[in-house]
Amino acid sequence: MFTYTIRRLLIAIPTLLFISLIIFMVVTLAPSDPTANLPLSIPSEVRAQIRASLGLDEPIWVRYLLWLRQFFWYEPLHMLDSAFGWSLATPDMQRILSWQTRSPVADLIVQRMPQTLWVVGTSYVVGVLIALPIGIISAYRQYSWFDQVGTFVSMVGFSVPTFFTGVLLIVVFSVQLGWFPSIYDTTHQVRDFGSFLFQVKQMIMPVAVLALYNAAQISRFMRASMLDNLNQDYVRTARAKGMSERVVVLVHVLRNSMIPVVTVIALGVPTVFGGAIITEQVFKVNGLGQLLIIAIQGGDVPTVQTLTFIFAVLIVLFNLIADILYGLLDPRIRYD
Amino acid sequence: MKLRHALMGAACTLALAPAAFAERGSDGQVNIIYWQAPSTMNPYLSGGTKELEAASLVLEPLARYNQDGSMVPWLVESIPTVENGGVSADLTSITWKLKPGLKWADGSPVTSKDVKFSWEYCTAEGGGCAQSEKYNDVANVETPDELTVIVRFSVPKPFPYGPFVGAQAPILQAAQFAECMGPKAPECTDANFYPQGTGPFTVSDFRPNDVIQLIANPNYRDPAKPAFATVTFKGGGDATAAGRSVLETGEFDYAWNLQLAPDVLAGMQAAGKGEIISGFGTLVERIMVNFTDPSPDLGDRRATVDHPHPFLTDIAVRKALSMAIDRELLTEIGYGDAGRPTCNVLPAPEIYKSSANDACLVQDIEGAKKVLDDAGWVPGADGVRVKDGVRLSLLFQSSTNAVRQDFQALIKQWWSEIGVETELRNIDASVFFGGDPGSPDTFQKFFADVEMYANNFDGTDPEAYMANWECSQIPSPETQWQGNNMPRYCSDEYDALVAEMATTGDINERARLAKSMNDMLMQDYAIIPLVDRGRVSAHSNTLGGVVLNTWDSELWNAADWYRIK
Amino acid sequence: MFDAPPKKLVEVSGLKMHFPIHAGLLQRRVGEVRAVDDVSFDIFEGETLGLVGESGCGKSTCGRAILRLYDITAGSIRIDGEEIGQTSQHALRPRRPKMQMVFQDPQASLNPRMSVARIIGEPLDEHTDLSRPQKLERIYELMDAVGLNRNFANRYPHEFSGGQRQRIGIARALALNPKFIVCDEPIAALDVSIQAQVVNLLEDLQDRFGLTYLFISHDLSMVRHIADRVAVMYLGKVAELAPRDALYATPLHPYTQALLSAVPEPDPSIENRRTHIILTGDVPSPANPPQGCNFCTRCPKVMEMCHHLDPVMREVQPGHFVACHLHDPEHAKTAGQTAAPEATKSIQQGD
Ligand SMILES: Nc1ncnc2c1ncn2[C@@H]1O[C@H](COP(=O)(O)OP(=O)(O)OP(=O)(O)O)[C@@H](O)[C@H]1O
Ligand SMILES: [Mg+2]
Repeated sequence: MFTYTIRRLLIAIPTLLFISLIIFMVVTLAPSDPTANLPLSIPSEVRAQIRASLGLDEPIWVRYLLWLRQFFWYEPLHMLDSAFGWSLATPDMQRILSWQTRSPVADLIVQRMPQTLWVVGTSYVVGVLIALPIGIISAYRQYSWFDQVGTFVSMVGFSVPTFFTGVLLIVVFSVQLGWFPSIYDTTHQVRDFGSFLFQVKQMIMPVAVLALYNAAQISRFMRASMLDNLNQDYVRTARAKGMSERVVVLVHVLRNSMIPVVTVIALGVPTVFGGAIITEQVFKVNGLGQLLIIAIQGGDVPTVQTLTFIFAVLIVLFNLIADILYGLLDPRIRYD
Repeated sequence: MKLRHALMGAACTLALAPAAFAERGSDGQVNIIYWQAPSTMNPYLSGGTKELEAASLVLEPLARYNQDGSMVPWLVESIPTVENGGVSADLTSITWKLKPGLKWADGSPVTSKDVKFSWEYCTAEGGGCAQSEKYNDVANVETPDELTVIVRFSVPKPFPYGPFVGAQAPILQAAQFAECMGPKAPECTDANFYPQGTGPFTVSDFRPNDVIQLIANPNYRDPAKPAFATVTFKGGGDATAAGRSVLETGEFDYAWNLQLAPDVLAGMQAAGKGEIISGFGTLVERIMVNFTDPSPDLGDRRATVDHPHPFLTDIAVRKALSMAIDRELLTEIGYGDAGRPTCNVLPAPEIYKSSANDACLVQDIEGAKKVLDDAGWVPGADGVRVKDGVRLSLLFQSSTNAVRQDFQALIKQWWSEIGVETELRNIDASVFFGGDPGSPDTFQKFFADVEMYANNFDGTDPEAYMANWECSQIPSPETQWQGNNMPRYCSDEYDALVAEMATTGDINERARLAKSMNDMLMQDYAIIPLVDRGRVSAHSNTLGGVVLNTWDSELWNAADWYRIK
Repeated sequence: MFDAPPKKLVEVSGLKMHFPIHAGLLQRRVGEVRAVDDVSFDIFEGETLGLVGESGCGKSTCGRAILRLYDITAGSIRIDGEEIGQTSQHALRPRRPKMQMVFQDPQASLNPRMSVARIIGEPLDEHTDLSRPQKLERIYELMDAVGLNRNFANRYPHEFSGGQRQRIGIARALALNPKFIVCDEPIAALDVSIQAQVVNLLEDLQDRFGLTYLFISHDLSMVRHIADRVAVMYLGKVAELAPRDALYATPLHPYTQALLSAVPEPDPSIENRRTHIILTGDVPSPANPPQGCNFCTRCPKVMEMCHHLDPVMREVQPGHFVACHLHDPEHAKTAGQTAAPEATKSIQQGD
């Protein structure tokens, strides 16, 4: 398993380099201009100067190599410096700067991480926690009213877009009832019970919207996987052995059904870091998703490039984690 | 009328009364929402409206415009003019006198050095200063003493109020930005996010593209102001959500630029939590007419003056296109109270506004047909007019935007009624307005027959704006397609007016020149103005002191805001 | 065997197992599959009852229903004198050790995530209070009994061959000292070379532990080898039940005759001279069985009455039961006399 992991990690390096090149090409060659959103009252000579100050008049391959050097060499040094108080990075080691904010992209990402993890991460956890029992019960009581309601709800959760459910919740719970804030306060800090309560209040709606969506997907998956296993002979064997129903379902069926579900859950984790672009916009959570979309709109190539590349790394990483988990969970799979 | 004014006056005095006795920070917190989030607090590095406005809470210019478009002294004693001797008779220098005792938020004094530094900062090589145009023709800035600033121009400047005036050109603290000149500007993240200012507030936490927290500036020049101790300036989302948070849920006190359908806004206001305010500036939605031939057959020389347009060079066609448009209806559909039909490309300030072209306010399909008939354009078999084998068939481009596409569809319909065929096209705004010389779809390249967008100018002086339509401003391959003269309009007479304005100091004379330039463009139908677009914002019922200003930052008088109890 | 009448270990009567069919948008119940439809038979202690029939006729369902792996639709099941037909699953659990099952597919019937030791040992946790070493000892004992190397105890099922897996399944079934084992085609998924090994193992174990088997198979020659009595199922019902030799010598039901005629003879000289009764038509769906006798759609000797009257099971000769109108007493006088010799004739032809 260890050599397998190492081998996979080594293969990942050229893969990721290739991905970074593709991302760079797509982001750079797409017709966009960081000065496009400026007021028209700013004359074109000034725009040209701005573009030049952003390094846009360098050839493409120079920009790509510069970015590579910044991402893989300068940024880690800066990170080590700030973590351990060293000074490995010299002042000429320019960090990757966002064109919009002119501040290091890494700082932006660090700044956005908490709210994204709080909201999107919680919603993922909540979604999974809801989805598993629903999927299990739905499968165990296939065609019961519980299953029918579960099917309906997950169909709704799956097909109704989050911008609709989000705005609906805002209109009902913020505008009509006034229970929850419609705009997420990213500066809020949890210090005591009261502020924790506020944090919960402002998280409820975005988390609910996203959790519904996640739960819909995962519960379907859980249900299907349970159904696959429930009709297997080994389940009958377990019953024939006279095992209690609880042991049959929770030990035999569930553990086997969890194998594919766990991998699906693991593969979904990178999307947490990717943020939920639409939901973040609707509730003004301003996490990584919003950072990405604003950067795209603003033609902010370094930010888009860095973010998408980090997402790519996460996806590759979690694919590996999913594979390893599969191997750990399923004795039939051995990677050596 | 009189009674109403009197009542309003009374209400204002009542409302203002508590503010007068307020002490700094006594009104707690105020929440502002901008649905576009500011990415920096340094307006010299961004140029975006959202950044300008956010920064205006902290950074201030020497003078700025009030809600009427009049210039008011801000960090200076008075506005220098030729009359008071502040502007030299030859119009090549202007002398500003700082108010004594001004302090930066950190307590250090504001001096003429800081003013001079701001000019150096923005004009430094490699800095990409977005406002460098404000400092055009500045030869030198002299600081004979701590409080005196003399700006010397290389040419006579009849309107010498570019540098250090308005939210676009505020004063930076020299001490803070000294190490951030030129290419080093973006590296000064701390300075760019936490600038020292003279304004009523100072940044305590800046999260780019998300939220800004500010606290009252302890060294603000008026000890009783600002009334608010803290400001939360939230960014992001969309205009609907921003409007909702002020008008319906009351979570925020002020929402900026609510470009929403008129009925949506009315519905929100019905919740009774806040008030919608609107004002008009110089933003005009217009159609530009291409005087050159955009045909792809012309290769490199398409849309250049080498090839005049096959039929848009005929004034009858341009006139008919304008006459066929119902500006009233467009306004109602697209902007409601936030727009008004206009027949001028220069709709304000009042002294520059021409009334010579107002006939266009009424749609005249029949008249348009007659104009075309008289010019010899006769309808062909398919209803499209033809003359000498040339069909009146247009490509009409604009940026992607729901209102613009509605307008395009309506206009296409009207033009078809007069026998002009129209093909519509819309281009993503970031491409259309992006100056990428490699893209064929920019508004400067104008590879279409007509195009629609909106434009305005900063401040109140139209000189530079009207100069956009000089012959020398025509974009072409030689200028890398830079330049503002989209119609490729070229008239010696017009250029003469531009030149004359550049040397005329008298305000009434300047007004006459600007008006005649406007009228020339209008009567030549080089530009077909459609809607004078206002600014719509909203504030909660408990926020007092708001005065909407379309000539400067909307937050220009945040120092005077207070809580209505 | 002693002369005392053998004790009935399993008594099944009127057993029905109908599966609901769900369809439509709301997955409503629209009908049922009559997988087992009114089946009755007994199994004597220590004997092997073979249960044969075409694929899909309900053999497995019948076996599982007897062990109450399903909640049966109707009928009574007595095992060792105890009625379990309607007992709740919960109350059944303590009785499970007595009756076990060996499954058709050895791969599918073993939990892929459990080691052999756990698979065999799990029922011991549930039903005994042996200490850990005792349990391990028992597991090894069982592995020895079925001829599995003790060293394999910690391996997972996928690491074994098919035959070994079936041995695990058998060891597992034996763990709790059952009296009655349903062997559901225990060899169908195995290589022919291994089939004999497993069958011999089963016979051997029967002798050693005094087991009673319900041996389900569609392999008539294998059943002939192992079973004492044989029941033939068709479309959810038992068509004929007889001692092995009687059944193979004089099959009474036209379906049995057809089945037997299809069994290849090892001796080619005999094989060449045999006539095969080829059944035409498809097996009707158990969701929609035909009116009357359920074999009437394919029966070569179908009569008018077969289409509306369902034949009852009769003891035609001692211990030889058949459900066919040809053997009705009132019919036997006329048709029966012609039919019976005819039946023998076809067999004789086959000789
Ligand atoms: N759980 C179930 N739900 C619905 N129908 C079922 C179910 N189990 C079995 N059936 C149906 O009952 C009938 C009998 O199936 P069963 O598995 O008992 O056949 P079998 O005789 O064992 O066949 P084989 O020799 O192929 O194993 C088949 O038509 C099958 O489709
Ligand atoms: Mg079967």
